[in-house]
Parts: sequence; C-alpha cells; structure tokens
Amino acid sequence: MKRTLLPLGIALAFPLIAAAQIQLGGLDRPTEAKKQHVELLTDSLQLTANKPQDVELRFRVEPGFHINSHKPKDELLIPTELKLDAGTLHIANQQYPPGQHFRLQIGGGEDLDVYQGEFRVALRVEAPKGDTTLSGGLRYQACDNAACFPARTLPVKIAITAK
Amino acid sequence: MLGLVAVLFWAGVHNLRHRRALSEANHIKLIPAAPASSATNDSGLPDVEGYNLRGKDAPSFTLSDLSGKKVSLADFKGHPIVVNFWATWCGPCKLEMPWFQEFSAKYRGQGLEVLGLSQDDGASRQDVADAAKKIGVTYTILMPDEAVAKKYGGVDYLPETFYIDRLGKVVDVTAGAPSKDEMEALIRKTIAAGGA
Repeated sequence: MKRTLLPLGIALAFPLIAAAQIQLGGLDRPTEAKKQHVELLTDSLQLTANKPQDVELRFRVEPGFHINSHKPKDELLIPTELKLDAGTLHIANQQYPPGQHFRLQIGGGEDLDVYQGEFRVALRVEAPKGDTTLSGGLRYQACDNAACFPARTLPVKIAITAK
Repeated sequence: MLGLVAVLFWAGVHNLRHRRALSEANHIKLIPAAPASSATNDSGLPDVEGYNLRGKDAPSFTLSDLSGKKVSLADFKGHPIVVNFWATWCGPCKLEMPWFQEFSAKYRGQGLEVLGLSQDDGASRQDVADAAKKIGVTYTILMPDEAVAKKYGGVDYLPETFYIDRLGKVVDVTAGAPSKDEMEALIRKTIAAGGA
C-alpha cells in the first residue's frame, strides 16, 4: 500500500510546488543564463577556391533587445565590431549594414542607431582549396528598453569549404 | 485535490501575467522578495543574492571619487543614500541620472546623498569625469571596483539602484530605469524609512 501511495504523493506534490512557485513569483526570478543576446545564423560557406567572393555573415539580435550599430551616434556607446582571424583565408572589404533608428523612451529620450532582428556583415573572402574554419568574435553591447548588459563577445566559427 | 492544484495554477499564472504587465509598463524589472537560489547563479542578470539585500545592511565600501579621494559608504551614516550603479555606455543610466541630480538638490535639506558608482572597467578617471559632466551630474561619482559590485550582487544589469535609509538598511532595489515619479517615490520612502 505504501509503495503505491508514495509515487502518487510525489506526482501530486510536483504540480503543487509548481503552483506555489508561480504564486510566490518564483518564475519572475532572473533565470536567464549569462547567455548571448546575439546569435550567428551562418554556420558554413561554400566557396570557389582561390577566387575572391562576396559573402554575408548573418546575425540575429534577440527579440526585445537592440545592440549599437557599428557607428553609434554617441561616442560613449560601444560599437558592434566583428574581428576575424583570417588564418589561411584572405579577407577584405568588411562592411557593416547601416543601423536602424531607435528611440529610447526614458525621460527626455535618446535617439540611437542600432541593430535589431537580423543583420548581415559583408566580407570579400578568398579561400584556398579544401576545408578550413573562419573564426573570430562579434563584440556587441545589448540593451532592452530600460537597461543594458555589459559588452559581450559572441564567438564566430564558420566552416569554409572551397572547391 | 487535482481541482485545487488546477485552481492554484491558474490563479498563479494570472497573477504572474498581471505583475509582469505592470512591470513592463513601469520599465522596472521585478525583483523577487525571496529568491531561492544562491550567488552561484550565472545569470545574465545580477546575482539573485544581490537582489535580496532589501531589509539588510547595505554592504560597506570605500572607493575613489573623481579627484582620487577615498569615499566610504560609512561617511554618510545618518543620511538617506541612493547608491546608483551606472556606466558611460549605458543609455538608460544616462537618461535617469539627471533625475538623481534634481532630487539630490530637492531633498538635500532632508539629508539625501546620491552616490554614482561607475561600472566602466578600464575607463580612466578623466573618461568617467567627462561623461558625468556631459550628463550634467555633480553628485559624488565613484570609480569602479568589481569587489564592490559583487557585494551588491554582481551588478551585471544597468542601471541598478539601492535605496539605503539613515540606519544603513537597504529599503528598496531597482534594476532598470524607473519612471521619474517612481524614482521620487522611492527616494521619499527611503527618507521616511530611517526616521528623520
């Protein structure tokens, strides 16, 4: 009898604890991992070997957040910057997209130049025949409507296949 | 039993949604009164333990001001104090700081002291001073020290403000910029909390 009741008790206790957790505001607790607020959408590139080609690296900013563009309006703001380790690749002509206007609605407000949603950084890449990895990091500083996180660097790692 | 659980769950979700909506409208992050986990949380937000300073003694610190002079929290014993963590690269911080300036003047007669703790790691004293001047604040600005930020829960989410009464107790904590009215209400609450 005891063996039968124990699992039943546990099964009933879990939803009770969950309900109590919500009632007490437990789900408001900041559980967000020290995660990135930008993700890399490009994981591989197929190129023609030994020929300069224009490619785009796609990134996406987490909904509800914005990051400064490569050329923010205020000199105190931290620009988004992609730093790549070329290795055996030849990389040139790195181009950032223009930012979008964003109005920070606090007090008198402030006009910002930001990236939201998806944005792409263009590069001209020349790769030798074979497989290699393009690696580096995207440094950015994210905010939402009321607060900001310190600058972080998103690791960038892209498999390059040149034939 | 199952019916009770269902009712509790529904009521909790409803309550949570309501509080979140209020919070979003106010641009303030809700801070749990009794967080369950310890400072080992590696959240992108400040450590939960830091949020739990309300009602406790404000952690002591000694930092350098913009002239290099050492300033301790204990220097302001008997005063209501606002300890505001900010950074030069934080837009919301810069927008709320003029309000602290205004309120520091308005409530000076009641002893209010505002301390702005820069979180600009690696920035020079001159960089921080230039930024403070540009923002238009003249209250005490202190240079960063990671150990102090840790005492206040990590402060990985700016602005973060601790309202401390005359007895040195943390009356309230906000993460994110509140409205000007909310900020003033918190200051008044802090002034009233420790007795005049």
